[in-house]
Amino acid sequence: MSQPLLEVRDLSRRFGGLLAVDRVNFAVQPGEIFGLIGPNGAGKTTLFNVISGVTPPTGGSVFWRSQPISGQAPHRLNRLGLARTFQNLRLFDGLSVLENLLVALQRRPRSSALGGLLNSAGHQRAERQRLEAAWQLLEELGLTALAERQAGTLAYGDRRRLEMARALATGPSLLLLDEPAAGLNPAEKDQLCQLIGELRQRHQLTVMIIEHHVPLLMRLCNRMAVLDFGVRIALGTPEEVRRDPQVIEAYLGTGTGGSA
Amino acid sequence: MIETLLQLLLNGAASGGVYALVALGYTLVFSVLGVINFAQGALFSVGGYLTFLLMGGKIGVNGALPGWGLPGGLPFWLALLVAAAGSGLVGLLVERVAFAPLRRRNAEPLLALITSLGAGVVVVNLLQLLMGAEGYAFPHGTDALGGLPGALMIAGARIRTIQLLLLLTSAGAVLALSLWLERSKGGRALRAVAEDATTAQLLGINSEAMVRLAFFLSGALAGLGGGLIGVSVSLPGPYFGIGYGLKGLAVLVLGGLGSVPGAIAGGLLMGLAEALVPSAASGWRDALAFAILFAVLLLRPSGLLGRRTVEKV
Amino acid sequence: MIDNGLLVQMLMGALLGLSVYLPLAAGQLSLATPAFYAVGGTLAALLSTRWSALGATANGGFPVPSLLLEMALGGVLAGLLALLVGRLVLRLQGIYLAIATIALVEIVRVAILNLPFTGGAVGIFAIPQPFDTAAGYLLPALALLALAGWLCQRLELMPLGRAMAAIRHDELAASCMGLDTTQVKLTAFVLSAMLAGSTGALAAHFLNTWNARQGSFDTSITTLAFVVLGGSRTWLGPVVGGLLLTALPELLRPVGDVRLVLFGLVILLGPVLAPQGLVTPALLERLGGWSLRSGASRKTENAQP
Repeated sequence: MSQPLLEVRDLSRRFGGLLAVDRVNFAVQPGEIFGLIGPNGAGKTTLFNVISGVTPPTGGSVFWRSQPISGQAPHRLNRLGLARTFQNLRLFDGLSVLENLLVALQRRPRSSALGGLLNSAGHQRAERQRLEAAWQLLEELGLTALAERQAGTLAYGDRRRLEMARALATGPSLLLLDEPAAGLNPAEKDQLCQLIGELRQRHQLTVMIIEHHVPLLMRLCNRMAVLDFGVRIALGTPEEVRRDPQVIEAYLGTGTGGSA
Repeated sequence: MIETLLQLLLNGAASGGVYALVALGYTLVFSVLGVINFAQGALFSVGGYLTFLLMGGKIGVNGALPGWGLPGGLPFWLALLVAAAGSGLVGLLVERVAFAPLRRRNAEPLLALITSLGAGVVVVNLLQLLMGAEGYAFPHGTDALGGLPGALMIAGARIRTIQLLLLLTSAGAVLALSLWLERSKGGRALRAVAEDATTAQLLGINSEAMVRLAFFLSGALAGLGGGLIGVSVSLPGPYFGIGYGLKGLAVLVLGGLGSVPGAIAGGLLMGLAEALVPSAASGWRDALAFAILFAVLLLRPSGLLGRRTVEKV
Repeated sequence: MIDNGLLVQMLMGALLGLSVYLPLAAGQLSLATPAFYAVGGTLAALLSTRWSALGATANGGFPVPSLLLEMALGGVLAGLLALLVGRLVLRLQGIYLAIATIALVEIVRVAILNLPFTGGAVGIFAIPQPFDTAAGYLLPALALLALAGWLCQRLELMPLGRAMAAIRHDELAASCMGLDTTQVKLTAFVLSAMLAGSTGALAAHFLNTWNARQGSFDTSITTLAFVVLGGSRTWLGPVVGGLLLTALPELLRPVGDVRLVLFGLVILLGPVLAPQGLVTPALLERLGGWSLRSGASRKTENAQP
């Protein structure tokens, strides 16, 4: 097996008396789509927060291409190639759609502040490149017509796609998607599924995805892990997970997931 | 040596008590609304001047009505209480004009900071119009303290009676408030609103009434502090409360925003620390509170006794 | 009504408004501007009265290049102080940051009051004058304001300014997009301090005397009011707010002592009547069809493939 892109070992996060993530282990291989499922409150988002540097772990470690990265600030992790979206949508609401992307494209390419102040040729070139990249992404995600709109005024599905575009704009190799299909209707969910596949191809992405909608994950993922009360209770291909008695007991058995 | 130390400690505790009063005022409002009422310092001034007028003090030559004064003259204690109630009413007014309109439209909390500062500027300058910028000493000096001697000998140390009264009064007020918050129905309702306004509303608590109550009590605490400091030192001008308001702010953060025990402990700590500044460096005393505040903010941003909050992502 | 002296003060008000605006544009409510203003002013007052190499003459004159040098030095010193303090305080959020910066203002004020060489309560007086009349100060004040305005305008069109706007909207999301938010906030804080420091150096000469009262909590309030009433969405807001609110107390002078009450009323009622401030992006759009905020996007339309 090749070197994993991301690996978590015995990762834990405690909030007071609550162990939200409890000694979780798994590795994500380059190029795969890795799903994370579990009932509400199973610790999925907390796990994302720890991996993306938003919340420091209270135990265990995270490795990026075999290098330890736990405890690093989110912007450092992003610069390593790890980008995320947020379950409850955290766009820069007052900025335009295009500006949301330009913010994420700041370092692609980098340009000096002095050049920016003096509007140097180098700065203008960098700005042009950023704009091209931004328009490209808008087109890929079907947001071109909305480029000048304020992000806060977009429809729900458009905002979800803008979050993905913004994360992609930082040029990640690993994209963490936190419930990208939440609130979408079945047709939109299908489109999203297709879109994620396309984006992975075009940007050579590895994708980690939290999702409640199990059928979508089963179709999309190469492998998946199941969390319950912070503990990883299963890991494997969708087929293996589907047959795992513990999973049926904890997740599918309760009926919270299958119908959500 | 022991006597001076005792004196120092008592002085420190006395001013610490006043800081605690101001900080508690901030705390009450902060815990129900999550905002800071920057007019608190102005209400402190109001308390001082009201006490002065109620005790029969006359307006000076630079005031709006030179030589005018309230007829009669209440004894110190009564004047202090009425003045505190008066400051509480001004506090209510501040809530009406500076906070309520913003709350109704869910405006940014930053705006309440500005409007309450504005309310403070208005109040202080109205005081200045009425009373002039001059300083005032209290009418009968400390004789007003109901015939108590000006100083007492305790353990061989000469202690100014007013210092002792200051400490006892603020301790009494703080204790009464804590008990009320803890035990009474009204106090529990106020705490419920502070915990979670929506749930409290569902339980049938009128949260608007609780907000008004918090502002009244907060203003009254500041007014009490102003009256006490006025009698014990003097009224050096309408702006004198602003300095106390700022120090109260330092105490508030020192103790942790929204924490009642924190405000009390922070006040005492600040008062004692100031009292221990040697007189050769007394000019720097005013910076001490802020230096401590700075240090605390950096080491423990939630204050000494405050709760840490975790942002939900 | 408005004489040259008042005009200079208004321009300096606009400058201080911009100094408060810069951190606020990055979502940071800092009330530290008066501290940096005081540091710059004190430096200029000390240098020009103590250091003969700057060329103060016996009859109170002062070479203009020395004034410019002092403005630069005042900015640098204030900027260094901001660099030092900012690393510590910018970890704080919201109201905690506001209170910490008030603490900074008070510490600086007490220091200037008590340091052995700053003249105590009286302060430093007979600061030499580079210009014979107030009108002379108009030019350096205008030049500094133009520089600051140009800086703010350029910021909108470059990564730093966009990063500031992003942090104002959502600091956590910004950091997850790879922005070193600490660095961005610190840059805004230092720029704000440099602007206030340079303004202070100019003000010290203009006012002729300098003491600890120049940078106090009162100034924190008034400068914040410049931004809130002028509007914090574009840099023109604080400029307009600074100009108007500095002029207001002077224009109200005929009503005597009531003017301070009226000034308070303006601060009290302004946010209620105009929560966005006087100058909003929408207003600018209506006025001239040019919006500062969307300037970046408009420029881009050509780039669409």
